[in-house]
Parts: sequence; C-alpha cells; structure tokens
Amino acid sequence: MYRWVEHTAELELAIEAPTQEAVFEDALAAYAELVGPPLDGQQVVHSVEAEAPDRAALLAAWLEELIFLAETEAFVPERAEIALYPGAVSARVEGRRGDPPHVVKAVTYHDLEFSPAGGGWRARVVLDV
Amino acid sequence: MSEQLRRIDETLWEIPASSRADMRVPARVFADVELLEAIRGDQSLEQLMNVATLPGIVEAALAMPDIHQGYGFPVGGLAAMELPDGVVSPGGVGYDINCGVRLLALPLAEPELGGRREALVHELSRRIPAGTGRGGPLDLGPAELDAVLRDGPRALPGVSPGDVERTESEGRLSGADPAAVSERARQRGHSQLGTLGSGNHFLEVQRVAEIFDPAAAEAFGLAQGQVTILVHSGSRGLGHQVCTDYVRLMDASHARYGIQLPDRQLACAPASSPEGRQYLAAMAAAANFAWANRQAIADGVRDAIRRVLGSDVGAATRQVYDVAHNVAKIERHGGRDVLVHRKGATRAFPAGSEEIPAEYRAVGQPVFIPGSMGTASFVLAGEPGSMERSFGTTCHGAGRRLSRTAAKRQIGGAELRRQLEAGGIVVRCPSNKGLAEEAPFAYKDVDRVVDVVQRAGLARRVARLVPLGVVKG
Repeated sequence: MYRWVEHTAELELAIEAPTQEAVFEDALAAYAELVGPPLDGQQVVHSVEAEAPDRAALLAAWLEELIFLAETEAFVPERAEIALYPGAVSARVEGRRGDPPHVVKAVTYHDLEFSPAGGGWRARVVLDV
Repeated sequence: MSEQLRRIDETLWEIPASSRADMRVPARVFADVELLEAIRGDQSLEQLMNVATLPGIVEAALAMPDIHQGYGFPVGGLAAMELPDGVVSPGGVGYDINCGVRLLALPLAEPELGGRREALVHELSRRIPAGTGRGGPLDLGPAELDAVLRDGPRALPGVSPGDVERTESEGRLSGADPAAVSERARQRGHSQLGTLGSGNHFLEVQRVAEIFDPAAAEAFGLAQGQVTILVHSGSRGLGHQVCTDYVRLMDASHARYGIQLPDRQLACAPASSPEGRQYLAAMAAAANFAWANRQAIADGVRDAIRRVLGSDVGAATRQVYDVAHNVAKIERHGGRDVLVHRKGATRAFPAGSEEIPAEYRAVGQPVFIPGSMGTASFVLAGEPGSMERSFGTTCHGAGRRLSRTAAKRQIGGAELRRQLEAGGIVVRCPSNKGLAEEAPFAYKDVDRVVDVVQRAGLARRVARLVPLGVVKG
C-alpha cells in the first residue's frame, strides 16, 4: 500500500507492505500512477537489475531504473516479478509504451527509509519533481 | 526554533552555530516578518542548519527570502566552501544542474504585437517541445554531445557571439570533462537539447510594465511597453542523471573521508578528492549542456518570431542575459577562492565586476526573477551588498508556498486556464493537472521577495515584466 505525503516542493512516497518485494511492487505502482496510463499497444518486457549498499538505496535505485526507462523508452510499467538479493534487485518488468510525462527528475536520498514495521516493512522516498 | 532565531538587522535573521552541536557556522536567512512566518511553516530552516554542518563551510549557511523546503539543501540556499578541502555536495547544486533563466528582448512594443500575440504563443508551443522526455530539434551524435558538454552554446551551429557574451560565464564553465558524464546521462540527454522539460519550467511572452532604474534598463536594452520572452529551463535528464550518479558515489565515500551528515541527501566529498574533482568536471559539463539547451530554445523562439512577426523582428531579437540558479562555482570572495554552491539562488555581481559583460559593467549584472505563472517577473541588477553579505548572490524566484497536491485541491487546471485567459494571458500547456500544480497562489509573493533583496542591498529593481502568454512545460 502506498500514499503520497504533502511536501512543499517535492513528492514524498510512503509505502507499507507485508514483504520487502511488495515494497518494490508498490513503488512501481506509485510510479506507474505518475507516468501512466500506457497507450494501447503491444506489451513490452524489460529486465531490470540494480545494486546498492542497503535496502533503502536499493529502492531508490529501483525507481531510478523505472525513470530511465520512462524517459528513454517511453515505457510505462504495469507489473513486475521481483527477486531481491543482498545488495541487489533483479526484475522482469512488464508494461507498454506510453506518453509518460517527465514528472520525476530523480530519486533523492532525503529522509530515505526502509525498515521493519509491525511484522511488515515501511519505506519512504522523496522524489524530485 | 523561535528561541534560536535572532534578528540581526531589518532583513537578516540568524540561527547561531551554538544552536546545535554539529553546526560549524551560523545559518542566516534574508527575509521580512511575513516571509519568515511562511518559511517557518516547513523544514527550510532545519535544512539550512543541516547545511551549516558541512565540512569546510565558510561564514554561514545562507538563504534567500524565496527559501523553501527541498531535499538536503533548501531551495533558495547557498553555501561557500573553503578550498581545496572543503566539500562539494551534488545535492547543493540540485538535480537540475544549471537550471536558469534567459531573457530575450524583441524590437517592438506590445501594441505592435497586437492581434498576433496568440499566434506567437501558439507557434512557440509548436517549436519548443515541452513536457516529457520528448526529443528536441537536435539529436546529437557522441562527438557533437562531447562538444556541447565541453563548450556549451559555442558548440552549436550559427550561435551569435552576442548571445555567448551575454551569458553568465559566457556559457562555459572551465574544467568540464565529458568523460565524467555517465553513458546513462548521455542517453537521457542526447535528444533533449532545445526542450523545455516539465514542472516549473516555462516560456513566457511578457511586456515591460514598469521601469524602476532607467539607466540600467537602457543598458539592458529594455524600454517601457517592450515585448520580452523569458525562458526557464535547465539541463534536462542529462543533469538529473549526473546528480543522481554523484550523490550515489559520494554516499559510498563518506567513511573514507570521515564525513558524518544529518541528511543522507547532503552527500559530499572534499572538492580536492577524486570524487569531488570528478563531480565538478561532470557538473561543469552538465552546466554547459544547460546553457546550450537554453540557446537551442532561444533559437526556436527566434524561429517562431520570424514566422509570426517577420524575419526582421527575429533577427533584431536580442538576448539580454542568461543566468544560472543551480550551480557550484569557484569564485573569489574576501580575498580567497571559495566554492559557492547556489541552489535556487542567482549570482548578482555588482557594477565594476569583470565577470559581467562590458556593456553592463557600469550598472551591474542582470538578474531575472521569474514570478509564478501569470504574475509579474523582475529584472534586477547586482549590488555591492551581495559581495559583502551573500557571496555575490540574490534570490531566484517567488519560492513555493503550497505543495503541488494542495494547489490542485484548491483549483482545477481547466478553471485556472480560464482565469488566466480571462486575465488576458494566452496559455499553452500539455496538461491541465500540471497547470494547476503551478497555480500562482502556490507561490510566495514575488514583489515581497524582491523588496527584501533590494532592502538587503543584494540587488535592485530595474524593471517589472507582466505576462502576455505562457507556454508551460
């Protein structure tokens, strides 16, 4: 589950999910909300790999991969099969070509969080828009 | 916070370095009572105090009256670092490296534009791609992109020497190294030259509504009633990626340099370190790309003018100046070289500075302060107080007051469009939602911001510009 938090100039994304993989899935869903909907068309699949020293930075790196695909391939993600490893994420991302507005410039490390919460996981990430 | 904040003079407040154990210098903000109240409504001052903890910071972490909460550094903040070992922080420049403003002056007054205004705005929206990562008029090959990264606008065909001369740093920061720019940044940027981008980027057709300083206005080539076009854009995806790459690199280097930070987004490294030097080389390249981007946009603007108003008008459209408001530069202040980070702040060198074009040297460097969409913008000139009090710096805009969500809650894009058009402003925007996010009431009062920097002696008003039409990114 994700929600957008009020922030004067940027967009702050707050996620609560039962598993770490679900946090990454929710981040994709939130980003898809920003850049969607896809145009009608054939499904496109991308393999995405990213590395980072900790889970919070890995979540940022995951979103950065999606931003890169939106900006260079006009790719609007729809769903992903996500595998997490120590310091890495590997995913098969399905989506379609769209007309993604260039709303997100980057993923910041400001107030970046990825931590256990109530038997699940909580994450927070501020996007520069 | 209130007990820590003390008033220094009419327009300057200070949070002493003793307020927090990790602050190395005080945090100072230029404001008036009303603006300060708004500033205290978000985390701006806490973020400014965080900046005051950075290794090598000189004198104070400073903020302009348009300060608002950002990430890491506040927007509207500046910090000067001692050299060679003070830090450089990519977040202190921001993701949109060399976001900035260029002003073009047309050789005609508003009545002469007359009924062709809507056609001009429409043609501008056709010529200048806005919104997403849509490609621009130029798709650069690797060698062409290298040339732009090294040399900025000079690398583009047919650029007039006058445009280059009337650009901050003549559109080229030294030390730019294309090899320091990642392949991913190049992929994001190679087709984006000449594009506006989204968010708060825009093109505005304006009228000079008021002249405050006739001598400076004349030097800048501005007259009452004259039509101007203001361009607000930056380094697009290329700059965003450069910042992303180096925040990550520096985040991983803190242990090596013994750096501890209150906010991870303040990631930094000594300017003299391999990471610091590499970032400065990449940032300079991205800054040069941004100047080339605004040059390519200006070329598109002149094309639109030629088509709608005639080739003579296009040829006589003169660039007043181009200023950066997200950049880090080595400058001499107080008898020593320092690395000045400006994030949402504008260089404002006074009369006599050799860094500004000879034709403006008697009046001071032009500074452009875009107001929010649909409200007034200002042309200022740098004043000596900027060198004494703010490392040669003034404000950059109105500064956000409301979040984008809050703005959209208060007005729909269609209604805002109707209101702007009812006020006589022609609007072209790819998205009603994006339009609502930039509603004028989401920003602080630009008149008040400019009043503070004038009273503080950082810059003075030269002219006030009001919108006739806007193309929003």
